Formats: sequence, C-alpha cells, structure tokens
Amino acid sequence: MTLSFLEKKKFPRSRKNFNSLASLKGQMKIQQMAFMIVAVFFFFVLVGLFFLEIQFKDIKSGAAQLQKDQAISSLKVIADMPELNYNSRESMMIDEDKLKIISGSFGLDYDLFWPVASVGIYKIYPAFNEIKKCPGLGCNFYEIYNSEQKNVKTYSTYVSICKKMKEYGSVYDRCEVGKLVVGVKIYEE
Amino acid sequence: MKKGQFNFVWLFAIIAGGVILFLAVYGAVKTGDSARFQSDSEIAKSISVITDPLQAGFSEGSFGKISFREETRINNICFSGEFGKNDISVATRSSVGEEWNLPGGTTSIHNKYIFSSGKSSGKDYYVFSKPFNFPYKVADLIFLTPDNYCFFNAPDEIANEIIGLNTPNIEIENCTLINAINVCFGNGDDCDVVVYGACGNGCDSIYDEGTVVKGSDDMKYVGNLMYAAIFSDRLIYNCNVERLMYRNGKIAEEFSEKADLLDARNCNTNMKPDLIVWSDLTINASADDLMLLRTMADNIENKNNRELCGIWE
Repeated sequence: MTLSFLEKKKFPRSRKNFNSLASLKGQMKIQQMAFMIVAVFFFFVLVGLFFLEIQFKDIKSGAAQLQKDQAISSLKVIADMPELNYNSRESMMIDEDKLKIISGSFGLDYDLFWPVASVGIYKIYPAFNEIKKCPGLGCNFYEIYNSEQKNVKTYSTYVSICKKMKEYGSVYDRCEVGKLVVGVKIYEE
Repeated sequence: MKKGQFNFVWLFAIIAGGVILFLAVYGAVKTGDSARFQSDSEIAKSISVITDPLQAGFSEGSFGKISFREETRINNICFSGEFGKNDISVATRSSVGEEWNLPGGTTSIHNKYIFSSGKSSGKDYYVFSKPFNFPYKVADLIFLTPDNYCFFNAPDEIANEIIGLNTPNIEIENCTLINAINVCFGNGDDCDVVVYGACGNGCDSIYDEGTVVKGSDDMKYVGNLMYAAIFSDRLIYNCNVERLMYRNGKIAEEFSEKADLLDARNCNTNMKPDLIVWSDLTINASADDLMLLRTMADNIENKNNRELCGIWE
C-alpha cells in the first residue's frame, strides 16, 4: 500500500525513477524482514529466558530437596557413627565421653567428613532457658561441627546420652535425654 | 522486480532463516544436555542419600536395589589421604556418537566407603552393606554392583551370610544367573575370581582372612573386606582400605582420650597404651598390612573384653 502510494504521488514513471523505486522497495522488504527477524529473535530469547527460569527453579528446589533428604537420613547415620555411638549394639545412643572429645580440638580433623552443615547435641532434660556451650559447668550443648553457614535449616531427633559410671564397685550406664540436631547445607551465592 | 533483487531477498531470507534454525537446534541440544546433566547429577546425589538407610548399622548386613529407567553408568573415583572420599558420577547411554554421554556433576562422599568397579553399567544395581570391625566397629562397607555372581565351594558361614542377605544377584553352587561372574573359594574350574583363605588360629572360618585373586590382581583382606575385594576393582579396594585404616587410627586416638575420661571417674582401664600403638600402626596402613594387623586386633579385642570398664562394646 505505502509503496504504491509513493509510486503514484512522488515518483513519476521513468526509467531512472523505476530503478530507484525498485531499490527502495527492496530496501523496505529487507528492513521489514530484519525487523521481523529481530522480533522473532527477541521472542525466542524471551521464551528461552522463561524456560531457563523454570529450569533453574527446578534445579534449586531439587537441590534443596536432596539436601533435606540427606540431612534427615544423616541423623541416624551420625548418631550411629563409631566416633559418637555409645554401644555398638544399640542405635541412637550417644557416648558422652566421645561427645566431649569430638566437640573439642579432636573434632577439627573431621571438618570435611560431615555430609551436613552443622551437627550439635543438646541435653534437653532438665529443661533449660539458655544454651550453655560445653565444656563448662552445667553446660547443655555440644557443638560438634559448624560450617558457619547462615540460614541453616535444622532437623533433629531424640537420642540417649550415656556414660559408663563406677560406684561401689559396680559399673552401670547413666543416660540422659538428648537431641541431635543437624543443619541442612545451603550453598550460599 | 529484477532477477538480482529477487535472489538477494531470498538469499537474505535463507541466511537469516538458517541462522535462526541453527540457533534453535543449538539451543535445543544445549538445553537437552543441561537437562541430562541436571538429571545425572541428581541421580549421583541420590545415590549418596539412598545408601544411608542401606548401611548395615547394627545388623549383620542389609540389601537394596536401585533400578534405572535406562542403562546407566556409575563412575566411582576414590581419593585416599586422610578420610578421603568417593566421587560418584552418573552417565546415561548416548544414542548418537560416543557410547556414553559425558557424566553429570560429581557427588563427593566423605563418610561412606563405596566398593564397586571404577566404571560399572547396568539398569539394575544391587547395593548391600556389611559392617567392618577391626577390632571395634570402624564403618559400614557399601557394595554396589550391577553384575550377577555365582559362589562355588563357599563355606557354610559365607553361604549362610549370602542367603541371609537375600540378594537376587548372588547364587550359591547350582547357579542359574546369566552372564554371572564365577567366584570360587579355594579351587574350582572356570573361575573369574578366586578366594584363598589363610586364617590359621582364632578364626571362625579359614576365610576370615586371606587373598582374593582377580586376573593378575591380588587383594589381601580381613573379615568382611572379602566382599569388598570380590565386588570392586583393585584401585578402589586399596584406596578405600587406606581410608578405612586412617579412620580406624582416628577412632583409636579418640578411644585413648576416652580412657583418660574413664580413669578420671574411677572407671579404670588399661587400654590406653594399646590404643596409642594401634593408632600409630593403622593410621597409615594399607591393604597389604591387614593380615599382619589382624593378630594385634584380636589381642586388643580380647583385652577390652576382659576390662570392667571396656572402651567399646
């Protein structure tokens, strides 16, 4: 339409004008096509970005879910580790002596070993108002490992914290109620 | 319209169209690759998660099966040095070009000991676990294999253990499994793997310690490491044994400190000197040292059992 209008009004039919008109028509077609290509390109880029956004969301939620699963399944594995376990025939029993050792400098060697972001054990009975880190008088929290990550989500399970006692010539196990808490490893950006 | 102009417009359209098509195909392939990489990485991480409940724990052993929708290759690279690690990656079969796609992201597992071939492939993987005590519990050994096995001349103790595990990929004597690897105890015909027992005294079975011979490779073992030697490559086996021995040494260090705490509560124990020596001997030990260390492990265990305040139970 535009081209025919230009042809009629501005350019009288002559050999010279016909050539320039045809060239202009060609240029216009190329421009139209170029715009179209750019539009199509941007359209696909936007579709691609949208798709990538969904993909990344999927990856992030998948990774978070796997970390959560890892943390939950690690609770039993950690409680039953020979470095923490009280009696190799009983599950979910923690040795208080081993706790004292591994929450001290000995535990530093295990930094890379843990599959989670943090590991700690609270003594939950008698109930306490403030957390007192062990070692210390009346302490109630053993910090075994802390990767110093922020926004760590924690999962926990109840355990027995036991130690061997000898009184009046007989040996017995003295146990308290505890809570093993592990934090989910969240990769910081 | 001139002929040249017509050609130019078409040429332009063809080039532009070609570029768009190329970008679309390239994008689709790359997206497919990313999706596959993501899926393979997730599977590798899942292997780490699903092997948690499959660990033997306090039982004599446990068994599980991992089934994939298509044939999958699991790569296991072991790194020794202190606690070391198993790097697990997964690759799926490719329909074009190379037989296998590039593996997905690697999952490093520091707190488990996975015994398998360096590269194993199959649709169904059998996972089972046995505890490793030397002389105290050190860790659970995890065996991962897609292969079938036939055990010949296995002693009753081992046959009962295998029957107890209820693993469908291992049969004793009259074997009906296809493409099975033949494992012979002592001697036998047509054996792919031969287990030679060497335990002389203080043993439940002659196979409590010995050597597993696989082609030109021979691997020394004690206790449940026999299964590890049968189901894994020599490199993976030696590396994981070094990792286990390091951990064994660290546990001995911890136990010697525990002895002090017991002493402080009048729950006296004489285990400390033995544990210090044991720690020094094991922390840098390799598979070749296992049989020499076993006698001392038995002595330490007997001594601990005699203690009123034993370090472990």
